[in-house]
Amino acid sequence: MNHINIWTEKYRPVTFDEMVGQQEILKRVRSLVQAMNIPHLMFAGPAGTGKSTLALIIVKELFKEKWKENYLELNASDERGIDVVRQKVKDFARTKAIENIPFKVIFLDEADALTKEAQQALRRTMENYSNTCRFIMSCNYSSRIIDPIQSRCVVFRFKLLEKKDIKKRIEVIAENENLNITEKAYDAVYESSEGDCRKAINLMQATAAISPDITEDMILMVSSAAKPADMKIVLDYALAGDFLGARDKLLDTMLKESVSGTEIIKGIQKEIWNLEIEPSIKVRLTEKTGEAEFRMIEGSDEFVQLQALLASFVLAGKGES
Amino acid sequence: MSLSEKYRAKKYEDIVKQDKAIDEVKSFLKQFPKKKSLILYGPAGTGKTSLVLAAARENNLEILELNSSDLRNRAKLEETLRPAAQQRSLFKKGKILLMDEVDGVTGTDTGGIPELVRVINSTHYPIIMTCNDVWQSKLSPVRQKSKLVEMKPLDVGTIISLLMKITEKENLDKSPYFLKQIAIKSQGDTRAAINDLESYSETDEFTIDLTEKRDVQASIFNILRRLFKERQDFIRLFDNSELSLDQIFLWIEENIPKEYSGRELAKAYAALASADVFRGRIYKNQSWRFLIYQNIFQSAGISYAKDSPLGGFTKYERPKRILKIWLNNQKIAKKKTISKKYARFVHCSTKRIMRDFPILTPMLKQEDVQKKLRFSDEEIAYVNGLK
Repeated sequence: MNHINIWTEKYRPVTFDEMVGQQEILKRVRSLVQAMNIPHLMFAGPAGTGKSTLALIIVKELFKEKWKENYLELNASDERGIDVVRQKVKDFARTKAIENIPFKVIFLDEADALTKEAQQALRRTMENYSNTCRFIMSCNYSSRIIDPIQSRCVVFRFKLLEKKDIKKRIEVIAENENLNITEKAYDAVYESSEGDCRKAINLMQATAAISPDITEDMILMVSSAAKPADMKIVLDYALAGDFLGARDKLLDTMLKESVSGTEIIKGIQKEIWNLEIEPSIKVRLTEKTGEAEFRMIEGSDEFVQLQALLASFVLAGKGES
Repeated sequence: MSLSEKYRAKKYEDIVKQDKAIDEVKSFLKQFPKKKSLILYGPAGTGKTSLVLAAARENNLEILELNSSDLRNRAKLEETLRPAAQQRSLFKKGKILLMDEVDGVTGTDTGGIPELVRVINSTHYPIIMTCNDVWQSKLSPVRQKSKLVEMKPLDVGTIISLLMKITEKENLDKSPYFLKQIAIKSQGDTRAAINDLESYSETDEFTIDLTEKRDVQASIFNILRRLFKERQDFIRLFDNSELSLDQIFLWIEENIPKEYSGRELAKAYAALASADVFRGRIYKNQSWRFLIYQNIFQSAGISYAKDSPLGGFTKYERPKRILKIWLNNQKIAKKKTISKKYARFVHCSTKRIMRDFPILTPMLKQEDVQKKLRFSDEEIAYVNGLK
C-alpha cells in the first residue's frame, strides 16, 4: 500500500475484486492469469476506465512480491521515438524472468501515440522477444493500431464507467478519509467525470482539500475552476469580428494550459451548438471544424489549421459562411 | 577611380530621396548620448555608407571605420574599437565610429557581437552600424541598444535622373532608353546602376537582357509586398530569400490579418492551411515532390484571396508566435519537470498531467508528496506559489 497521499494511487485497486465495471473483461483475464500464462493483450478504451490498473493487477497476481523486477511500464507519448522504446525493451528483455513464469511483462501505455512506422518497428520487436516477453498495450482507439499488431493480441474493449461503479469507488474513499458527501454531490462528481474514474477521484481530493464536508456546489466550483480550455471566449471574439483578439486568446490558452490542437478542436466542436447563430451556419461550421481536425493529422502545424478555422468563424459572425 | 566612388554622395544634399533617414541621423547625432548607437539598414546601394560619410563631413567629425574585411572578433574589437571609443580625437572635435556591414560578423568572429554591445555601453562617441538585414537573430542584442533607421531602395525615376547627371558630367552619350534599362535592372541599387553605366559605356549600345537581374537578396518585406500587392513571379518568389520557406510561412501567417478581412481573410488562411497540409506530407513521407504545391498555396493561394491586387503601404510585422512559444516554455519548464515526476508515479503520461495540472495542484502542495517525488527546491517553490 502506498503511504503517499495521492488518492488515485492510494486507492488504486490491487485485486480483481476491488475493480469496478468491466466485469466481462475481468472474468476472462482472471482465468488467463490463473493458468499462469497470458498472451499479448490489448486494452482499448477511454481514459480512466481501468486499463493501467488491470495491467498492474495482472503482474501483481502473476509475480506476487517480485512484480517490480518483471514489469516494465512505458508511455509511448512520453518516450522520445521508437528507438528509445526498442532499446528499453531490449535491455529489459535480455535477462530471463525469475520465478516459475517464463516471461516478463511490458506495459506500453498510449500505444496509439506511436506512428504507423513506429508500430511496424514495434511489431518486429514483439516477434523477436515473444519467448521472453508479453506485451500489454493500452490505447484509446484500437483502430489507430495497425492490423498486424492487433492480430497478435487479444483485444479487450473497456467501456466508460457507470454511475454506480464510480460511486462505489468514491464511497470507499469517503469512508477511509472520513468525508461527508451529499447524494447530489455524488451526482455532480459523476457528471463532471464523464465516466473517467481518475478524473472523479482527483476532483474528490481537490475538493476535500477545502473541506471534508462535500456538497454539490463545492464540486461544481472546483470542477469549473479546473476546466481546461474554455473555447467560448475565443469564439466570442471571432464572432464579434475580432480575428486578432481571437487568435491571441487561442494561442494563450493553448500555451498556458498545455492543450493540444486536437483537444482545442474538440472544445470548439462542442461549443458551436451553444452559439447564438443560425442553425444552418452551425452545420457549415461543424463541417469546417471536422475538416480542420482531419487536416491537422495530415499537416505539420496545428495552429495554422486553427487560425483558418477561426477565420471561418469571423465570417459566420457576419452571417456568412 | 570608379564612377561609383567618384560620384559617391559627399553632402546630405547629394543623397537623394532619403530625407527621412537623413533627419533621423541628424537627430541621433544631436541627441547623443541619449542613444549611443544607430543601425542603418536597407538593401545594397541605397546610400548607407554614403550617409555616414556625409554626416561626418557635415559635422566636421573624424571617422573610424571597420568594415567586413577586417577580422572582427572580440580581440580585434577590444584592440581597436574600445580605445577609439574612449580616446579623444586628435585633429577634430569628435568622431563617429562606423561599423560597416555588421551582418558580416560571422561565426569566425567569436564574441564579436557581445563585445560590440560592451563597446556601445561604454562609448564616448556615436557608433553607427550598417547592414542589409537588421532582423537576423544574432543582431538582436545590438538591435535592442540601437536606434533603427531604414533606407529604402530608390525608384527607377530617381536612378535615371542620377544617371543622366553623371552622363552629362562625364560627357557620355547615352540614350534615355539605355539609361532606363540600366535603372530598371538595378532594382533600386544606385551603385549597381552606376557600375553598369560604366561597364556598358565603352561598348556599343545594345539591349540589356532584363532577365539578367542582379541576384538581390529579397528582403522578407519585399517578398510580402510582392505577394500581397504585386502578384508577380510566384514560382521564384521565395528563391532569393535568406529565410527558409518555414520562416517565410510564419511571416505570412502573422501578416495576413494586416492585409485581409472577412471573406478574403478566410480564403487566405484556407490557402495557408492547404500549404501546411502539403508541408506535413513532405515531412512525414519525405515526398519533396509536394514542395511545389506548398509553394503555390503559400504564394499565389494567398495573393488571389483578394479579387484585385492591393495598393497602399503596409507595415509588416515579425512573427510573434515562435517567441511566445519560447517564452511560455521558459515559464512552464518547472510545470513540465513536476508533471514528469508525478506522471511516472501515477502511471500516466506527462501530457495528461500537464493538462490536469490545475486540479492536481492541491495534491502537489502536500509536503510528503513533494518529498516522495523528490521535487527540487525550485519545483517546490513553483508549486507552493500557485493559487
